Amino acid sequence: MATFAPASEPPPADAGKNGRAVRKPARRRPAWRRRLFPYLLVAPAVLYLLTITLYPGIYAIYQSLFFVRFDTWTFVGLDNYRELMGDEEFWMAMWNTVVIGGWALAIEFTIALTLAVLAYRDPFIRGWRIVFLLPMLFMPSAVSFIWKLAFNDGRVISDLLMGIGLIDGPLDFLGNVGLARLSLIVTDVWQWTPFLFIIFVAALQGQDPEVEEAARLDGASWWKLFWNISLPIMKPIIAVALILRAIDITTMFTSVFIITGGTPGGTTETISYFIYRIGFKTFNFGYASAASFVMLVITIVVAQLFVKRFFITSRA
Amino acid sequence: MSTVHPTTGPAADAAPGTAAPAPSRKRPPMTDAERRARKRRRRRSALAGSVLRYLILGSWAIFCLAPVVWFLSIGLRPRTEIITPQPIYWPSFSLDAWHMIWADWPMGAYLRNSVLAIVGSVIIDLALAIPAAYSLARYHYKGRDDIGFYILSTRMMAPAIVAIPIFFLFKNLNLLDSVWALMLVYAALNLSLVTWIIRSYMLDLPHEIEDAARTDGASDLSVLFLVIVPMCAPGIVTAAVIAAIFAINEFLFTLLIASTQNAYTLSVALANFTGGSDGIIYNAIALVAFIAFLPILLLVLVVQKHLSRGLTMGAVKG
Repeated sequence: MATFAPASEPPPADAGKNGRAVRKPARRRPAWRRRLFPYLLVAPAVLYLLTITLYPGIYAIYQSLFFVRFDTWTFVGLDNYRELMGDEEFWMAMWNTVVIGGWALAIEFTIALTLAVLAYRDPFIRGWRIVFLLPMLFMPSAVSFIWKLAFNDGRVISDLLMGIGLIDGPLDFLGNVGLARLSLIVTDVWQWTPFLFIIFVAALQGQDPEVEEAARLDGASWWKLFWNISLPIMKPIIAVALILRAIDITTMFTSVFIITGGTPGGTTETISYFIYRIGFKTFNFGYASAASFVMLVITIVVAQLFVKRFFITSRA
Repeated sequence: MSTVHPTTGPAADAAPGTAAPAPSRKRPPMTDAERRARKRRRRRSALAGSVLRYLILGSWAIFCLAPVVWFLSIGLRPRTEIITPQPIYWPSFSLDAWHMIWADWPMGAYLRNSVLAIVGSVIIDLALAIPAAYSLARYHYKGRDDIGFYILSTRMMAPAIVAIPIFFLFKNLNLLDSVWALMLVYAALNLSLVTWIIRSYMLDLPHEIEDAARTDGASDLSVLFLVIVPMCAPGIVTAAVIAAIFAINEFLFTLLIASTQNAYTLSVALANFTGGSDGIIYNAIALVAFIAFLPILLLVLVVQKHLSRGLTMGAVKG
């Protein structure tokens, strides 16, 4: 951290620049201008972000009070919200998001942490890292097509499973709730386990090798080493990594759009896909806006409860 | 590397033989034969552990690589050998898809849209994020943490939540189906990420250099751009690369905003490689996927060391 840094030389670029070193210090600007300066620096970014959060938020609230049919808006009050609360499809989309996201996150976390612990002191760690990273470097839409072809259209997974004698006939991955969800989970696990792996390896490599060495010389097993030394250090990093991954999983859209389209019977429809479908397939924009606003409130609450702690307090 | 893995290497062998009285304090002293036997057992279990370890790592490597290799083979085979009653694992080689994507689809336009939207959005991000990050990292003022958290929290929002209002915003601005709209949206989606990554790198810089520059009479802005920015160049490059990758990946907004080749990017163009009754044209999709993959791979190799730090928005120092 900055406070422990050794005193550094003034940068040569400034000192040498045609006599700047002997120039008098800049005249002091009025206090109010100096106090305003940091706000001015951050203002453009904040204003820019307000246009994609505050403006849409207000717009969504306003639009959610109307029944929108093409260009005619009919005021309906809170009817959209009333309908939404009783809408099974909406609750199902919420539930699907939790189930699919929860499984994907749990699997990704387990695999990534195992692989990271096994690989971080390996002499070939750089090689493993590149290989494990590859799936993350494809566009999510491309990855979705890879697995759509493997699961459904090309029947490769079925063929491989039949080859090793696990099943007798080809599986219909779109016709079965569990299998359809599984194909979304596998797609997500394949592409995003590397995200957690990279972070966990960096965290493990960042710990003091001498502490590890000492523990090992004292006869600590690798499991004790991991549980008592590595894990406590990693906890905040694990939290941050899982939060970031959880955010992206709960907003899952691309793979649903490409692979399942919500089938069978809406059991793979995530909340993002629900909003998209209501808005842009049935053009019921008011209703979709109501759903958006409910999600926005949930996001704000979750962000306040969980996220603030890990990002703000961990770094002064 | 100075250390070895927990389950293998000299440490595991040396520990029981030489200086490990601590764990066996309560047991009776071992005979030489016992000690040798124990050493052998340890060595054998270390070997078994090592084999198991490589087995696990190797399996995952195969799981990562196999779909990639197989998808590449999809791109290089004729269409007739893709969707068949029985999957074909040794297809014939064909460049049909390569000719098709250039002849039948406006690949040039897709590439141009992607590059323009991505580069433009990254430039917007850096222009807004560098001053903001500096303000958050270096100044103390009322509301700073709240502003920082607000910027961060925009990353938490599901894109779908704002999709409809953003769609109408661009509709009213007459910017639907234009690269400009994509540029503005990508910039907005990545701004929090870029700001936080750069902020994390700025926090690490020593104050002394800035103070020295100030004493020399440099203004606040010249301190920022002549002193700070060059010093946190790795952070800025990392942020730019990660923002570019997320922009390439973006799907939902592009799907809503783009409706013709005026604005289709590679990511969404993939979903349009369907030929009516022909269904999905997978070999074309596969090739386009690899066309997008190569530049991403290069970018990631450039910032490899900083990747974990960038992906956690600065929370992990890789």
